[in-house]
Amino acid sequence: MEERLYRSASGAPIALRPRQHSASCRELAVRCPRLQLRSLSAVTSAVWLAAYGLFVLSENSMVLSAAIFITLIGLIIYLHFVKIDQESLLVIGSLGIQVTSSYASGKESTTFIEMGQVKDVVINEAIHMQKVIYYLCILLQDPGDPQGVSDIVPLFQSSKPRLDCLIEVYKSCQEILEQRKTAPQPSGIK
Amino acid sequence: WQKVLYERQPFPDNYVDQRFLEELRKNVHARRYRYRAVVFQSGAVVQQLCSVCVFVLTWWYMAAGALSPQGLFAAALASSLLGYVLFDAVDGGAGRWASGRTRWADLKSTLVFAAFTYGFSPVLKTLTESISTDTIYAMSALMLLGHLIFFDYGANAAIVSSTLSLNMAIFASVCLASRLPRSLHAFVMVTFAMQIFALWPMLQKKLKAQTPRCYVGVTVLFALAALAGLATVSSVGAVLFASLLLAISCLCPYCLIRLQLLKDNIHGPWDEAEIKEDLSRFL
Amino acid sequence: MDGDCGVLWGKVSPWPLGTGDNGVPWGKLHPWLLGMGDNGVPRGQRGLMGKAKSPPFGDRGQQGPMRRTGSHENNGVPRGKVSPWPLGQGTAGSREDKGIRWGAASTGAHGPPGGWARRSLSAGPAGPRRPSPSPAEGAGRAAGEQRCWVYHCSRVAAMVLKVFFPSCCSSAESGILIGRWISEQNSAVILAVVHFPFIPVQVKQYVSEVQRVTKVNVSVLGSWSNSKQEKEESLSEFLEDLGTIFSHEPWIQISKEGNSKFWSCSTLQKHSNNPKEEEIILVYYDQRKVMLSHLHPPLDTAASTDRKADDASKLSAIFDTVAKSKVLFMTDRYDDGPIKLTHWQSDGVEASIIVELLKQASVPACMLLTFLLSVISGICRSRVLKFWPLSFLWSKLSTCEQLGYRLQHLQVISSNKKAQNESQLMRKANIFVSLLIDVALGILLMSWLYRKNRIGHLADTLIPVADNVAEELQDLLQWLMGAPAGLKMNRALDQVLGRFFLYHIHLWISYIHLMSPFIEMILWYVGLSACLGLTMALCILSDIIALLTFHIYCFYVYGARLYCLKIYGLSSLWRLFRGKKWNVLRQRVDSCSYDLDQLFIGTLLFTILLFLLPTTALYYLVFTLLRLLVVIVQGLIHLLVDLIDSLPLYSIILRLCRSYRLAAGVKFRVLEQQDGKPLRLLMQINPLSYSSVVQTYRLPTYSCYPKDSWTSLCKKLFLGELIYPWKHKGEKQD
Repeated sequence: MEERLYRSASGAPIALRPRQHSASCRELAVRCPRLQLRSLSAVTSAVWLAAYGLFVLSENSMVLSAAIFITLIGLIIYLHFVKIDQESLLVIGSLGIQVTSSYASGKESTTFIEMGQVKDVVINEAIHMQKVIYYLCILLQDPGDPQGVSDIVPLFQSSKPRLDCLIEVYKSCQEILEQRKTAPQPSGIK
Repeated sequence: WQKVLYERQPFPDNYVDQRFLEELRKNVHARRYRYRAVVFQSGAVVQQLCSVCVFVLTWWYMAAGALSPQGLFAAALASSLLGYVLFDAVDGGAGRWASGRTRWADLKSTLVFAAFTYGFSPVLKTLTESISTDTIYAMSALMLLGHLIFFDYGANAAIVSSTLSLNMAIFASVCLASRLPRSLHAFVMVTFAMQIFALWPMLQKKLKAQTPRCYVGVTVLFALAALAGLATVSSVGAVLFASLLLAISCLCPYCLIRLQLLKDNIHGPWDEAEIKEDLSRFL
Repeated sequence: MDGDCGVLWGKVSPWPLGTGDNGVPWGKLHPWLLGMGDNGVPRGQRGLMGKAKSPPFGDRGQQGPMRRTGSHENNGVPRGKVSPWPLGQGTAGSREDKGIRWGAASTGAHGPPGGWARRSLSAGPAGPRRPSPSPAEGAGRAAGEQRCWVYHCSRVAAMVLKVFFPSCCSSAESGILIGRWISEQNSAVILAVVHFPFIPVQVKQYVSEVQRVTKVNVSVLGSWSNSKQEKEESLSEFLEDLGTIFSHEPWIQISKEGNSKFWSCSTLQKHSNNPKEEEIILVYYDQRKVMLSHLHPPLDTAASTDRKADDASKLSAIFDTVAKSKVLFMTDRYDDGPIKLTHWQSDGVEASIIVELLKQASVPACMLLTFLLSVISGICRSRVLKFWPLSFLWSKLSTCEQLGYRLQHLQVISSNKKAQNESQLMRKANIFVSLLIDVALGILLMSWLYRKNRIGHLADTLIPVADNVAEELQDLLQWLMGAPAGLKMNRALDQVLGRFFLYHIHLWISYIHLMSPFIEMILWYVGLSACLGLTMALCILSDIIALLTFHIYCFYVYGARLYCLKIYGLSSLWRLFRGKKWNVLRQRVDSCSYDLDQLFIGTLLFTILLFLLPTTALYYLVFTLLRLLVVIVQGLIHLLVDLIDSLPLYSIILRLCRSYRLAAGVKFRVLEQQDGKPLRLLMQINPLSYSSVVQTYRLPTYSCYPKDSWTSLCKKLFLGELIYPWKHKGEKQD
């Protein structure tokens, strides 16, 4: 399926790629902006300049090698634990919703929420400092209280798409979630 | 026109007629002071000032070595005995009978004082060794000032706290006593302070209540003695002290009475906002 | 032609459709098809052999799944292994699905006997999806045959059927599927494939036996056909007729042809009162991993106990099903039983010689250990050790606590009871590994310590170090007795306190010098205890530090008591100074009129205490700082001991090496799709994160953690109360 370009809450370009695997299975992937070479080189040069300044003051060459190590290790840690490349949402009607974040180093972290626990998928407004931001979240059912919400799982935390992209995703999800409401109850219901 | 608001009248709401302010009264509760009475009452303040002055003088003499501790102790002892006898004689034993305090209890208290002070006098002497003299003087002055401020001169005000004033005086005396050469000096000084700040005012209160003429005479004598003693130390100080005493006993009453004429309290059939607060909780 | 639901077929069924006397359209009669009898027993109308078209008989290893041996009886039921006949049911068929044509593929377009409504698979109400063809077609379909099914039905509510298929059975030969049908989730968990030939009665017996043993509702769910050739049309009808023998609703038919990745799946619903278009989702799962893994519920919901069995999550139902069916997986293909299964262990049951040997060896070892432990705990509990000085000493030494703790652990491991559930097993394993690592590190430490006479060196340096510490303390006191940092101290009090503490230090130094010849020997024997574990060595180190700094503790207690007394006196006398008193009843400060003598003495004392405060405060401050330093060092050692004690090493190693054993959940991957086929998903195990592993499997320890918050600690320090900043979990709060 084609990719559509949107903007994130902070203005960076992101891309949404919806795919339909079957009638009740859809995957929506949001690709975050790549690591900018500009910012990487800025941070590296700042660290190295500071290290050089320290070296000039202290005449200790260990400072320079330490700076190199720090930069390398920092970059690795950043790529493996911080920088998220793509966040995707896989909605399988009657099974559940799977949320995946793939990091820049290839690591993927997945959470699967069963359909029985999902109450609804909604777009929430949040007031953060001086801004109002929108975010998509999954409402989880409270087992004790059929009307209650026990927890919410916010989605697309690092790509932070704007409302237009969220509406697309929301509509897609709702189409599949509706199916379970219109589907007749299976036999032997509890 | 009626002075009501619940009936419709052809006058505007803020209309007043010629009977306006008829019910105004001025200075209803003003007290008329008499000069002699005020001067008489100011004797209490004079007495306290003189007590402080005498105390400081005694300390000065002891520090300079002009007064020996034994002599001071003997004099103080004699005067205390005299005062003790006078205390009961003045009102013919009525006060003692009313309070129910026996002589044996008095004796016990005295013994406790003496033993305690004597036992702690070595500690007292070295207490402020490492503190500079200026600090000691400043602290003592502050404490004595506090003593004067909080003393119970007979007025019913929130700031009065006899306990605090006595304690401040004792504190000052301990500070000063620690500057004396030997522990016996310190013992004598503290005992003397106790007498002059605790026992003397009690006697004077009784005298004032029972024999006003005697009281006036004692006050005058006391003041003269203080002035004389001060004059031997510093004449400037004596002059200043004398002027202070005169100001307090003669000038201040006169000012009070004069200022009373300017009093302008108005009272009428309206409610006044009064602050009824007990300020003693700040002490 | 249009079906009821508007299914258009591209290819028309090659066979003419006629209708039989019972209204069932039949084309060429299926060779194995029998008419219906009243008792449901198939009549041998037409001999199976006679009309057999393609299915090969009696041939093992042939493509055809049917193997027949023996003749059949007159009621048509063959003796031997094969029971290929479907049991017809007696009801007259309804013709509701008359219009449903199916075929396009191979076998005849005849309806199943007995009014079975053929369900073709439909997509959901959303886009144009095709139903997948019946397995019958799959059997006979040519590889390249295209089929385009256009679906333009209105939006019909669909029920989605989920089939969990083990990936190990992908290449199994044709047979029937057994597993569990979870009706409330509309999903079927397939556990194994039973191959032809079989006798239905025996299969039913076996299934009920398994059901009885495992308490899992195992039943025959459907049929599986894996045909390497094409055009197994007769086979397909036969397979669907199997549904009549094993009455299960719905009857699932999966077929795979050649090496195609895309399988066909269909269901047969007997009671056709409401024909629904169903979408099928095919989920592959790795049977071995799912069986061995343990699903952890989220930590916050694990605490809630009011979950009925019905509310159990779908995933845990699936995991439970596979895990409990262990006995089903015990038969492998080399077994000589009447039933031939394919599952993950069908190539041979997994076992490890080492594990078996260890299991055998562990029994006598456990018994020996239990005996030893009972002896030791008997000694520990004897009355001799309970007298007051000794019991006080034991409670203060952390070594004894650690020893008791380890004994407890050993008892847990060596007990004869088998672990009830997974978490108990993990706990035992964690304790065992932790003990092992502990002892290994301890022995390592010991070997390092006893080499090159390090003990001797340590003993030699210990005395000078103790002397050094004492001298430093003396210097410190001399400094305090002077004018430390320019502060004004009261000389007399200063001298008194300083001399008092100096005398103590003098005592201490002489005590150390007295002990010095024995230090090396003591250290040598104490070092041996490191073989009990690194934690024990660390505890002993902490106790040694406590003993060596006992004088600092004493000084601290003296200073703190003096200071505390002073502070209380001052606060009370200050109230007297102002003429107030503390009202114990109302817990507030009230005014009070004191007697003259009280005032006098009180003020005197107040003055004295006030001027002596800086001196006492300084001594208190210095010794408190020293004591805090020692406490921090001891606390760090205890933290390290706790870490070693409570870290679940076995779980962490398991998470590292066999991450599927500890599952936080599952994750799905969408595999290649083909139009017309069911949705294919791969279910993989989502392992638990390391922090959750540590949190779930942490061993409970007598962990020491700060008793007071920062504010209350500061308040206690200010007031001079004695502080014991670490609280052990088992201690009573006083």
